Amino acid sequence: MILLTMIARVSDGLPLAATMQDDEQSGRNILEYQNQAKLLFRKLNHQSPPRCTIETGPYLFHYLIEHDVCVLVLCDKNFSKRLAYSYLEDLSQEFNSQYGRRVSSVTRPYTFIEFDTYIQKAKKSFMDSRSRRNLTALNTELQDVQRIMVQNIDDVLQRGTMLSELDSKAQNLSMMSQQYKKDAAYLNSKSFYVKVAAGAIVVFIFILYFWIL
Amino acid sequence: MDPQAGPPPGMPPFSGPARPPMTLPNGQPPWVQQQQFSAPPVNGHHNQQQQQMRPPQSGPYPPPPGVNGPPPFMNGPQKPPPQFQNARPSPVPVDSPNRNSPLMMGTNKDVPGPFSGPPQSQAGFQPRPPITMQQPFPNSQSPFPGQGPPPPGVGSQGPPYLQGGPPRPPLNLGGPMQAPPMGMPPFSGPASPPQAPPGANIQYTSPSGPPSFSNPNQPPTSMPYTSTPSAPPAAPLNQPVAISSANYGSALPTPASYSTPAMHQQTPAPQQQPVAQQAPPMANRYPPQNSAQSPVYPSQQTARSPVFPQPTTKSMDGLTTQMGSMSVTQQGFNRLWGNMETYDLMQMRNILPPTKVEAPRVNLQHSFVDAQNCSPDIFRCTVTKIPETKSILDKSRLPLGILIHPFKDLSQLPVIQCNTIVRCRACRTYINPFVYFIDHRRWKCNICFRVNELPDEFQYDPVSKTYGEPTRRPEVRSATIEFIAPSEYMVRPPQPAVYLFVLEVSRAAVDTGYLKLVCDILLEELDNLPGDSRTQIGFITYDSAIHFYELAEDAQQPHMMVVGDIDDIFLPCPENLLVNLHEDFELVRDLLAELPNKFQGNPEPSSALGAALQASFKLMGSTGGRVTVFQVTLPSLGPGALQPRTSGGSKDASPLLNPAIDFYKRLALECSAQQVAVDLFLLNSQTADLATISGIARFSGGCINHFPDFHAASKLHSEQLTRCFRRYLTRKIGLEAVMRVRCTRGLAIHTFHGNFFVRSTDLLSLPNVSPDSGFGMQLAIEENLSDMQNVCLQAALLYTSSKGERRIRVHTLCLPIASNISEVIASADQQCIVGLLTKMAVDRSQSSSLSDAREAFINVAVDVLSTFRATQNMGGAGSGLLAPHSLRLLPLYIVALLRHPAFRASSNVRIDDRVYAMCQFKSLPLDSLMQSVFPDLYPLHCLTDEGALEIEGKVIPQPPRLHLSAEKLDSRGLFLIDTGDSLIIYVLRNINPALCRVLLGANSFEAIPDVMTELPVLDNQDSERMRAFVNYLKEIKPYPPPLQIIREDSKYRSRFMQYLLEDRSESSLSYYEFLQHLKTQVK
Repeated sequence: MILLTMIARVSDGLPLAATMQDDEQSGRNILEYQNQAKLLFRKLNHQSPPRCTIETGPYLFHYLIEHDVCVLVLCDKNFSKRLAYSYLEDLSQEFNSQYGRRVSSVTRPYTFIEFDTYIQKAKKSFMDSRSRRNLTALNTELQDVQRIMVQNIDDVLQRGTMLSELDSKAQNLSMMSQQYKKDAAYLNSKSFYVKVAAGAIVVFIFILYFWIL
Repeated sequence: MDPQAGPPPGMPPFSGPARPPMTLPNGQPPWVQQQQFSAPPVNGHHNQQQQQMRPPQSGPYPPPPGVNGPPPFMNGPQKPPPQFQNARPSPVPVDSPNRNSPLMMGTNKDVPGPFSGPPQSQAGFQPRPPITMQQPFPNSQSPFPGQGPPPPGVGSQGPPYLQGGPPRPPLNLGGPMQAPPMGMPPFSGPASPPQAPPGANIQYTSPSGPPSFSNPNQPPTSMPYTSTPSAPPAAPLNQPVAISSANYGSALPTPASYSTPAMHQQTPAPQQQPVAQQAPPMANRYPPQNSAQSPVYPSQQTARSPVFPQPTTKSMDGLTTQMGSMSVTQQGFNRLWGNMETYDLMQMRNILPPTKVEAPRVNLQHSFVDAQNCSPDIFRCTVTKIPETKSILDKSRLPLGILIHPFKDLSQLPVIQCNTIVRCRACRTYINPFVYFIDHRRWKCNICFRVNELPDEFQYDPVSKTYGEPTRRPEVRSATIEFIAPSEYMVRPPQPAVYLFVLEVSRAAVDTGYLKLVCDILLEELDNLPGDSRTQIGFITYDSAIHFYELAEDAQQPHMMVVGDIDDIFLPCPENLLVNLHEDFELVRDLLAELPNKFQGNPEPSSALGAALQASFKLMGSTGGRVTVFQVTLPSLGPGALQPRTSGGSKDASPLLNPAIDFYKRLALECSAQQVAVDLFLLNSQTADLATISGIARFSGGCINHFPDFHAASKLHSEQLTRCFRRYLTRKIGLEAVMRVRCTRGLAIHTFHGNFFVRSTDLLSLPNVSPDSGFGMQLAIEENLSDMQNVCLQAALLYTSSKGERRIRVHTLCLPIASNISEVIASADQQCIVGLLTKMAVDRSQSSSLSDAREAFINVAVDVLSTFRATQNMGGAGSGLLAPHSLRLLPLYIVALLRHPAFRASSNVRIDDRVYAMCQFKSLPLDSLMQSVFPDLYPLHCLTDEGALEIEGKVIPQPPRLHLSAEKLDSRGLFLIDTGDSLIIYVLRNINPALCRVLLGANSFEAIPDVMTELPVLDNQDSERMRAFVNYLKEIKPYPPPLQIIREDSKYRSRFMQYLLEDRSESSLSYYEFLQHLKTQVK
């Protein structure tokens, strides 16, 4: 069961297209997953694995990154992974052929929302297990989907926060060390002045003692 | 302004643009001459004649003779009627200064010490004792601000009065300069007294044009008369007009007529008398006199015309020199201190300006003097200066509120796309032209006064592509702006435009023939529906069962499914009920072509509206969109079934104004939550309980259209529906919208008016927003605003366009603060006040009763005029009924409101019509609302190019607007009334055949067909002018209203006559009577 399909630009996570969800059964909680998807898009970058499956509650996110565009689908855990990826590939190909050139230039969210009509159709054909097209797609696209990494949504979303925490700690550390360096230099110079002053006083007293008396 | 343009009607009617007056006689078509003859309705020596004449008058016109009302109006402009003289204790004809004195007290007498008259003022200010009818809206949720605590006594009134003192010096300063003559006509400077005598009659005729039709002819006609005595006297002729135009900027001629009685009486007027007798004022109405005199006329004119130019030129020179300095200084005062002229309503017959009533300008302090405020068409406040404290507001007794037309079609609108929309971090206000920039990096919010940082990119100017001042940004330059929203503003992907049409097909519905009409229009406009490639469409029909139409992509034809179980409605199939418009275009077309035939002769009498709405909600719930319901009968089956209600003989219809059941409201709220809006087209002939079923549209942000007694066979009806529905289908649409209005700390919005649901305290949920819907909000002053210079109101509308873009449209209005009552009153916006009053009165009549609402209207007028009188420091001087410039039309509008179907007292208004009128009041934008309250009446027989607009190379004449009174109708003319949703041309009986032929293509009055809905295209200049004007009126409206041409003897006559709102009718007072009533009430 495909619940949600979204397409976004990888470089900045700008959503480009999405399906309107039919929230008859799943109700409003789809919104929550939608927000997760948006967060996920922001976390993704060119270093991210091009195919990945992410667990979230009772559902799975599958995503596929091609040509700087990430296509993501939310489906039930028991939905065939193979089917899901062939669906994603189909969408990715079609999207690239229709809008591929303009992807990098757009700034408005959901610029290609009209792709929705294609998504709806693809969804329908993939959901219908009897569909012949579905089967042929499976056969030709037969490939090893087992290698695809499975992660938990919380890990993915929090990896970023950990990193930023580390970053801030390191920054803290460097600031502290700089402070230390400054303090040390100050102390150093201070002790030097004290020494010089002490010497000067001794010399002064010495001179006073001999010359004036 | 061009001096010739000064007297608005100063040009020959059908002559070319700049024809010298010399050529008048030759150039004029025959009918003009007749009119011209009767033009000079000069003096007041015709009382007797008039009375004799009255009988013929009362024939065609409703006002019965012998009543107070009409007579004063009839002879009004020509002569101060007897009543009027009684009204003022000393109408001393000779001693004009004396006569003016009451007025001068206000403007002059308190010059040296504004406080010299505190006791007086307090006495004067004493508000009407707060009894019974003075609490117009006390119980309702939304009391008039002014009504709250009636100032208990003198003590409490003193201080504000004193407060009021200091700012008043402007007035007083103005006194000495304007003093002697200023009393009455604001413009008549020191120079005017000597000129007054001869000027008097011209002042009468030219600007105000009492015998309506003859306006353009008057100067020529009256000039010859005046020129006979001597040249100098003719001078004033142009003078007052020219000056008045300078003073008012809009050539407001009214003051001229205002001043006349005084001047008039001064004159011994020996020369005038003969003239006047020759041309009795009412002559134009009465053919016998006419014919008797018309032969004389041409010779007169030819004889005089050579004389004519001399006086004018002379007068012009003398005038300008004489009056130049005067008008300049006065202008200066007016500009500086606001327009504080006072008007005596009892004397001013022609108070209606000939041009459109413009919204008052908002004058901001110097810091924002260049900043562009929001257009008054979009955003308006009932006052253009917000009172500083609540007590000032209460004392001024004006309602405080705003009217917004947020989604108006705009010709130009800056649209901005940026990564971050700059908003205040505390109150989320959008940056606007009225914020304070502390430095280049920070700005101070003008709503909550928090200091915010500016993002770096804000210094980048997208227009010039350079970095620099933040003030160059369009956000800071324009008070109306649209942002393309980033994805944070989207809860879900933008929805597609989804249209569902729900059509009743019961027997009564099919019999009206609407189905074919609607399907045909839909078929034609399918391509023009706003939307993108995702647009979806669906159809449901219903009688006692619900019919769904499956439009499967691979199917050959639409498949109809009938669900008979209306008590527990379900969708017969999960998909293909709403289909993509572009992919299934052929199927949709087939269905639309087939539908009308399918139900031909359907015997099913009942209609299950409730179930059909539930089905639509189920169908649309997942995406949201627009449901269009065509309902013809009372819903009689299934959920939401209704019984016909009657008032049960009781006179009070207010229970019928409220819904019988809350089914429709509850369903509407569910729809609203799912972004579904329901628009209702009601075509009933029997009662359909609109009060109940309108709930579905009112709470879901929809709109209501009512076509009573609709039948497709009637051309008028079908044309009206066609045009309305076409506009409805093709107009812009905003989906899943929300609107929020923010206002400066200290102000609070407390009551909302319009079609929406208030989701949280101040968030209006609008599943759909259309360019034809307006909203009103009432404001309260919660804190003292004296430490501010101005306040701001910002309305932000977030919506999804039909192309799937999420956009935010932001309107910002900035208003200065006023510290005393007179300033507040001078800044009032009468039209906006009327707009807000109607909305409050609708609430009032629903919560209490209609008569309460009517009473409240009257009280508003009484309150406002009493307050004004008090601020004028007039004490007990019993002069006329004074009104400030800013509120001079309010009584007129209120008279019209009391006659409007929504508030009319008579019981012969059908309840659905009444409810519809009320619904319209709640949701119409102000300009359409005003037009329906007070339609425009134009004379069509004397269109000239003078003052004409030029749009796209076409010259569109602009005839003056006339008072809605039979007195203004000339039996030889034809008149156009423009009510906003219909245009009616009324041809009077004695129309000149030549005119008839030229304009209407009929050889005589009798030859005009009974039913005429189009102007014939005739190849002559006059016809072209008229068509240009009528087409112009059509084009400036959301959709072109149907045109009817009605003869005076037609059975449809009442369609026109009902709009003569200022005349007496069987159940209501005439305007003059109303004024008299006000006068007794105003203390």
